[in-house]
Amino acid sequence: MTEKTNRDGDLHGRVALITGASRGLGAALALELAKAGMKLVLASREGSRAELERVAEQARALGAETLAVSADVADRADVERLAAEALGRFGRVDLLVNNASTLGPLPLPLLLDTPVEGFRAALETNLFGPFLLTRALAGQMLARDAGLIINVTSDAAAVGYPHWGAYGVSKAALDQLTRVWAAELEGTGVGIAAIDPGSMNTVMHRDAEPDENPEEWADPAAIAPALALLARADPRRVNGRRFEAQDRAALAELRELAASGVQTETSHV
Amino acid sequence: MFSLPTLDGYVNEEIRHLETARRRHDPALIHRANQFPTTISPSPALLERGPGGEAAPPISFTLPHELEASGPPERRGLRRDQVRLMLLNRRSGATLHTRFDRIGELLQPGDLLVFNDSRTLPALLPGTFGDGTPIEVRLARQLDANTWDALLLPHGGEHAGKRIAFRAGLHADVSERRPDVPWLWRLRFDAAGAELLDRVYRAGEPVRYTYVPQILPIEDYQTVYAAEPGSVEMPSAGRPFTWELLLALRRRGVQTAFITLHTGLSSVRDDALDALRLGHEEHYRIGPAAAAGVNEARAHGRRVIAVGTTVVRTLETVADAGGRVHAAAGTTGLYISAAHKLRAVDGLLTGLHEPRASHLDLLSAFVSPALLGPAYRQALAAGYLWHEFGDVNLIV
Repeated sequence: MTEKTNRDGDLHGRVALITGASRGLGAALALELAKAGMKLVLASREGSRAELERVAEQARALGAETLAVSADVADRADVERLAAEALGRFGRVDLLVNNASTLGPLPLPLLLDTPVEGFRAALETNLFGPFLLTRALAGQMLARDAGLIINVTSDAAAVGYPHWGAYGVSKAALDQLTRVWAAELEGTGVGIAAIDPGSMNTVMHRDAEPDENPEEWADPAAIAPALALLARADPRRVNGRRFEAQDRAALAELRELAASGVQTETSHV
Repeated sequence: MFSLPTLDGYVNEEIRHLETARRRHDPALIHRANQFPTTISPSPALLERGPGGEAAPPISFTLPHELEASGPPERRGLRRDQVRLMLLNRRSGATLHTRFDRIGELLQPGDLLVFNDSRTLPALLPGTFGDGTPIEVRLARQLDANTWDALLLPHGGEHAGKRIAFRAGLHADVSERRPDVPWLWRLRFDAAGAELLDRVYRAGEPVRYTYVPQILPIEDYQTVYAAEPGSVEMPSAGRPFTWELLLALRRRGVQTAFITLHTGLSSVRDDALDALRLGHEEHYRIGPAAAAGVNEARAHGRRVIAVGTTVVRTLETVADAGGRVHAAAGTTGLYISAAHKLRAVDGLLTGLHEPRASHLDLLSAFVSPALLGPAYRQALAAGYLWHEFGDVNLIV
């Protein structure tokens, strides 16, 4: 039995789940994927319900079917509920974007001065969250032998910036999660990749660097298309890769990957 | 406990020899087997329905409490795929005892494993009536976006017209009871669809029976391939599979397919009604890919192995007289027993069933009670664990 999958990288009619979708990059990506015809499960914490509803409304105005779910990805019961609601509504999730992130304690302290709870909170949202949600949704992708998971990472994962300790450690661990998971998924039709959006003018970044001029940072709406390109790629070709969304060569490669889509057929029923 | 037999180069025909050898070298096993108050009732006559419409169980035994799995193997220091596996040959009755993660040695390239990918809901909802009286609601079957048949515990009393308050601000109005199963009531919730699912997840906990002492997280009740939620009890035969094992099986040429059947309650906590097996209509769906996979396997003489009795019921429901299955969605009340001639399924992976469980009747469609009885006696003697978190049995 062969089943045609995303042969031409067409996202139309497929289902995406985006965490941290109430604002910033998550919200911009929701609208980008809505334009591409995807069905959307948009998640954010309870406290941002009103913003999440607004993003869902904008996505619906673009023609997308949407489901807005209030859930904290750091909470295992919330993650199971989120996965169940997504699968209950749409029957499948083809694309998971682990975008929800927290900086930890603000203003950003030195690691030496970081409260234990703040450190833990950053790891729970930025590392445990993607672990829990990927674990909950990768199985139904493997059952179809098709699907893509995108982890949103940061250059703070690769460089030891002072003050970015909890966040940087969590993102470095997330990069390692991506690598190990990719190795385990090798040979299947399911892939996992990381993308570093670079500096963006978001609430989170303004919180992190209140003395900088946010006008110098990219608009998330200008970065979301790069993630949409990655979403169109053959999961097998991007499995284990890490892209930088503001790097010219990386963008060119993403365009090429998106244009060629999925090259092979799967053989599972 | 047994030591694992060496399965290198194992083929089905060798089961009998291995089994004989194992018995010869383990007199202690036979001794232990005789210590259990096990009675075997292999007579086909016992399968006939009694005057009350009940079928006598194909075999009967007393299950010692210590053989009831009280939680997942991961909480017993094992991986989920390290439970024990008893192979039972449908024709010869020969058995072989091994560990589940070695199931690949018992399967052949081309075998098709068919799984039920239904996700388990936290279907037990603690609630209170308006006067503060506590009531436990167990969802049984969804009727529409906001209506379920549900078991209300404890039994007794007139509940029609009452309103129940649950956690997370969820409410339900009780209307009529089912005429055939009076413990099942119709509940209309004040939320529907995705909103109801959201509230149920916040208000509920997994349905559990007395042998599971703790409330476990709902994830403990999910298979690794679980997709759409809808089962009120875990489709548990597939629980031992890990992705490591599934991917290894695929690499060896074992095929996989997925259907969905949302399970109902296995018990309404009333032995007489449970024995009548009423109220067991369950929603199922089989897509074109899975149907084609089954038909292709059968056309090429490859084995179709159902992972769980729910898969047997689904495939036998949608099979035509020629054994071809068709993509379909609907409700099935199909009851399978020794009298049922299997049309679409060759083998079954399943848990170990209680003596009165209707599943034992279903097993007798695969293997004669005369062969099932001795196998179950071995499992008892060897300390296999029963129920949804326990050990499993492959019948091929």
